[in-house]
Amino acid sequence: MDKKILIIEDEPDIITYLQTILEANGYQPYVATRVQDAWELIQKVKPDLICLDIMMPEETGISFYTQLRDESEYDNIPVMVVSGVIQKGEFDFRSFVPDEKYPPPEHYMEKPIKVDDFLNKVEKLTSANGHF
Amino acid sequence: MPDKKIKNRSKIKEKVSAELFEQVPYNVAVIDRDFNIVEANDNFAHNFGDWVGEKCYKVYKRRKEPCYECPSAKTFEDGMSRVTDAIGIDKLGRRIHYIGHSIPVRENGKKGEIQYVMELTRAVTETAQYQQEYQILFDRVPCFITVIDQDYRIIRANEAFRERFGQVIGQFCYEVYKRRKSRCPNCPAAKTFKDWKIHRSHQEGIGKRGQEIQYVVSTSPLRRHGSQVDHVIEICTDVTKLKNLEKKIIDAERLAAVGQTVAGLAHSIKNILMGLEGGKYMISLGLQKENTDLVRRGQDMLERNFDKTTTLVKDFLSFSKGRLPKLQMTNPNKLAMEIVDLYKDIAAKSGITLRAETAKNIKKVPLDPDAIHTCLTNLVSNAIDACQMGEQKGSEVVIKTSDEKGVLSIEVSDNGAGMDYEIKKKIFTTFFTTKGGEGTGLGLLTTRKLVQEHGGKIFVETEKGKGSCFRMEFPKNRLQAIYKEEKKNGE
Repeated sequence: MDKKILIIEDEPDIITYLQTILEANGYQPYVATRVQDAWELIQKVKPDLICLDIMMPEETGISFYTQLRDESEYDNIPVMVVSGVIQKGEFDFRSFVPDEKYPPPEHYMEKPIKVDDFLNKVEKLTSANGHF
Repeated sequence: MPDKKIKNRSKIKEKVSAELFEQVPYNVAVIDRDFNIVEANDNFAHNFGDWVGEKCYKVYKRRKEPCYECPSAKTFEDGMSRVTDAIGIDKLGRRIHYIGHSIPVRENGKKGEIQYVMELTRAVTETAQYQQEYQILFDRVPCFITVIDQDYRIIRANEAFRERFGQVIGQFCYEVYKRRKSRCPNCPAAKTFKDWKIHRSHQEGIGKRGQEIQYVVSTSPLRRHGSQVDHVIEICTDVTKLKNLEKKIIDAERLAAVGQTVAGLAHSIKNILMGLEGGKYMISLGLQKENTDLVRRGQDMLERNFDKTTTLVKDFLSFSKGRLPKLQMTNPNKLAMEIVDLYKDIAAKSGITLRAETAKNIKKVPLDPDAIHTCLTNLVSNAIDACQMGEQKGSEVVIKTSDEKGVLSIEVSDNGAGMDYEIKKKIFTTFFTTKGGEGTGLGLLTTRKLVQEHGGKIFVETEKGKGSCFRMEFPKNRLQAIYKEEKKNGE
């Protein structure tokens, strides 16, 4: 069965881009343009990985992430943050979420992504022992 | 008859003299040539104690021998009256500062030999203390104090003033403060001479080393001779450091606005780059799979993101115009009304009422009308969007102006979608947009930059589902300061 990837992103072209890459490589992408829509999809499809943007209207990716980790049912879904605010794979997560009870997301990826790196990471994070 | 009158007169005089001796508000003592006190009044006894059989120097100063340069001894010598001030010790042992008159008393009328000297003394201890305090205050209060006459010549200056401006007595105040050759326009001292009231103003002067001095001056009327105001006291507070600090803060705030955009711009560009990469990827994938639909979509994506680049560059250029605001005397209410006229039809199409609530007391202030126009355009178009996103009926956007406590404020409020905390935190810090692919996120940032360039601040109050209020606040003294500086640089 194809791995299910939830893309949470508000920029239509980026959504299309990620969707196309994932579909062309045998993944099943789902899309939420708002955090509220994401919750419905998570419950419905139980994704294997979430690609999360940070800067989004109404509610940010960071706020979504902490809520996700608060839900015991979904707190083991790996999260890859894909955002323009990341530089060279670095992101000061603790400056946004000082509370140590929240582990940082599994991976950060800077926009614009490199397709091969992106696919590599997606594969690793969605493999059976994806947590590392 | 005349004889009788004269007799009566001398009797009256005798009586009065005796009364005067006791009642006069002086300590009176009469001494002989050997400094023995031969008579004294009750006041004297009250203040200096028992005097019978004592030498005057013993009673006045507890000395064992005559005082150095005794004025009474000189009066005995030359028959002239004298006034001196001296320090003695009263009967309780307290130091007492007094003014003393030595008056010769002759044996036979005006031409006779001097038999005694009458010493009239009066304590001025309190007055002397006040005077000393006043002198210290006058010289050491951290202000420049001068007394000027009607020709604007400085006739007195305190120590603080002399330290900063040098020796200036007799010079014209405008010469000293500003190196001018004639009286300053808008001179507060001139106003005080005219209306006898206190006036204050902010001035720029030049110190004795040629340094610029910013000061706040207050001028008070002084009547030295008669009932007319013939002098003015100028009290100046040096606010150079304060003004420099204020300028630094304004500059820092202006710079901060620009600094933050670099990170924001990078974020925006990254998104566009990703769109371009996406288009490229889709075209090459489409070609590879001979899927024309993919190629077409890829091409659309490329075009869209190239367009976006153009928009971003345009917006950024307007945002980063490296110019200072061009302030001119502007009526904020008029600006508000212009925006209402411009946008009310667009708003009405979405069922939104746009109106202005303008305060009547607002006068013209130095603003860059184009810049404030841009700010209001941004805020109002955001507010209209927020109303469209919100679910309320009877949406309205209100532009409100007010002028209170020296602060001009212009606010744009709506009862639209409002924002949660996370969004509120972000709106000014980056190229943040809630409008998906539509916005560049530069509107609010530009607004904030323009407001800060005016020395102002922008505040946001918002509640999710209830609406938002963006308030631009401009301290008028800052507007004046920038206005002045611009004028100065423009000259």
